[in-house]
Amino acid sequence: MSFDLALIANSIPKILLGIGLTFELLFLSLFLGTVLAISLLLMRISGRWYLSAPTMVYIYIFRGTPILVQIFIIYYGLPQLEFIRESFFWPILREPFGCAIIALTLNTGAYVSEIFRGGVLGVDRGLKEAGAALGLSVTHRFIYITSPIAIRLCLPAYSNDVISLMKSTALASTITLLDMMGIARTIVAETYAPYEIFLSVMVIYLIITWVIQRLFGWIERRMSRHVRSEA
Amino acid sequence: MSDSNQTTIIQLENVDKFFGDFQALKNISLSVKKGEKIVVCGPSGSGKSTLIRCINRLEEHNNGKIVVNGHELTSDVADIDAVRSEVGMVFQNFNLFPHLTIIKNLMLAPRKVRKVSKSEAHDTAMKYLERVKIPEQADKYPSQLSGGQQQRVAIARALCMNPEIMLFDEPTSALDPEMISEVLDVMTDLARDGMTMIVVTHEMGFARSVADNVIFMDEGEIVESNPPEEFFNNPKNERTKLFLSQILSH
Amino acid sequence: MDAIDGWWDDFFWGSLVVVELFVVALFLTVLFGLLGAAAKLSGNGLAKTIANAYTIVFRGTPEILVLLLFYFGSAIALTAIAQIFDPEIKFVDFPPFWAGSFAIALIIGSYATETFRGAFLGVDPGQVEAARALGLSNIKTFMYVRIPAMWRLALPPFGNHMLSLIKDTALVAIIGLEETLFVAEQAIGYTAKPFTMYILVGVIYLGFSTIITLSVMVLEKYANKHLEVAR
Repeated sequence: MSFDLALIANSIPKILLGIGLTFELLFLSLFLGTVLAISLLLMRISGRWYLSAPTMVYIYIFRGTPILVQIFIIYYGLPQLEFIRESFFWPILREPFGCAIIALTLNTGAYVSEIFRGGVLGVDRGLKEAGAALGLSVTHRFIYITSPIAIRLCLPAYSNDVISLMKSTALASTITLLDMMGIARTIVAETYAPYEIFLSVMVIYLIITWVIQRLFGWIERRMSRHVRSEA
Repeated sequence: MSDSNQTTIIQLENVDKFFGDFQALKNISLSVKKGEKIVVCGPSGSGKSTLIRCINRLEEHNNGKIVVNGHELTSDVADIDAVRSEVGMVFQNFNLFPHLTIIKNLMLAPRKVRKVSKSEAHDTAMKYLERVKIPEQADKYPSQLSGGQQQRVAIARALCMNPEIMLFDEPTSALDPEMISEVLDVMTDLARDGMTMIVVTHEMGFARSVADNVIFMDEGEIVESNPPEEFFNNPKNERTKLFLSQILSH
Repeated sequence: MDAIDGWWDDFFWGSLVVVELFVVALFLTVLFGLLGAAAKLSGNGLAKTIANAYTIVFRGTPEILVLLLFYFGSAIALTAIAQIFDPEIKFVDFPPFWAGSFAIALIIGSYATETFRGAFLGVDPGQVEAARALGLSNIKTFMYVRIPAMWRLALPPFGNHMLSLIKDTALVAIIGLEETLFVAEQAIGYTAKPFTMYILVGVIYLGFSTIITLSVMVLEKYANKHLEVAR
């Protein structure tokens, strides 16, 4: 089996054209998903059943079904429903990009809210009690005591989710989007050289993963400055 | 109190033990007769735990010779398990198997190592549970027992293998004060029945009443070794005197 | 709902394929996970390097990419081999079931490697010492003390791996496996009801993940029964 290096050299620039779309999908879904996750978290820990119960159902559904299926339902499935076609959101829902963002956002929101919940639960009860004893209100305690500690606790899991999200963006290629994966598949279809092309794009994804991990490692170290035991 | 039988059952000759560059045991020579009770004391880091752990080869000595119950301790693996089944060990942290009931904890080794039948293992286990005075706990899990009870179970577990020698590595150090005496009572009973025992401990009352010989170790060496009366009333070495004054003052 | 009439049978058989895929991939996952963990825990430098490369590559690459690479790659490899025997052969197709289960097992296996490794390292060394002090041989200590502790430690994270596994099986539809998504596409061709069909697929997968979650809960209860009775 020969390894066509010229083909690789030729294809990598084309693949990299898709990196913009890959990053758009990643950052937009990440941002929206995190915002969604915070709302879900607040609903989940609100103590009010009419807020936490729907949230738990939502999380259960989105963590229990494959993301590919979620993408298909939104992109292929929603147009079946008349009220969707006539709704205000139709221009977004008609486009594969909009559908991909929505699917990725809804999915990652569910996972990240559970990660945040884990962080919040991990905060030592004693610290919250100390805050209460000092007279801080519930909201103040949440913002100034719980949140900073919780964020640091859930950084590892959050970074894993970011990497998962990055990998999920490749699924956008199944609904015609030309991100890196989409371009790669197109080239393979033309050239019948799966090894060269897929291995090249794999290397690019691995580099992105590595960068994300380094970034989060740095963030974690900075946040732990005061906590690392000097004793 | 010591047995009239004069056979040497444990012999250490010029034993050294290194952990990297750190020398934990320096030229240790020691002779234990069958039925003798030896108490080893000393500050932390003195090598006393390392010493007894070399005897059942949980640690491997670097130089010198160790002979236990007729077996010389070498790197021959086949022999190690045989030696260990003749030497019982009780740990500071009990180390009971959490996923097994008390009775199963006791039955595991006899059944798997000595191939004893289930009913025989069960009878032996109950016998020793009665000996340590907690037969009613047989079907409970370790997490349901107090520290003192767990340690007594650990002693019974070691006894189920019918060892010739029992090693104790600070058996009461992890216990709440009110539970220490129940464990020491069991150990005293064992001593009276003629078991050869080496006990690393800070419990000097126990040493006075049970030991045939008390050994003081410091910085990897045996500094002093004497019967309890001599040891406590007339310590010869300065370091021993210092240690005794620190440990006995409270 | 009537749109599904006539298709229940096909969805049933499709679901069966998912179950088959899951079982085969699960078995392989455990195998790869154990091998990977053993390699990482061994003293052997080469084994460790290979195992580390394995985890890095398969945790950082999009699943769909791994699948496509395996599917096309095996087809090409198989064709090349077949052509040695019969030069007339143009193309040998590699069964998507095996390409899919192998690829998924490699992916989840890389996560399982870390889980098993952590579980092995998490065994209380005191117990191992107690077992050795009682005279139990290395093998017996492994069987009666290490393994009971290890699987209990590995269970919660491995439960999550199993959930990922069942969801990744949906991706195998991309390489043509005739499971539920495939059936859905056919049904859509006839009924023009993509929403209904894909929701049904979602429900099927939700059912599977629920079964897995409940099974893990039961197993966890059994695993911890020695703890829950604590005073």
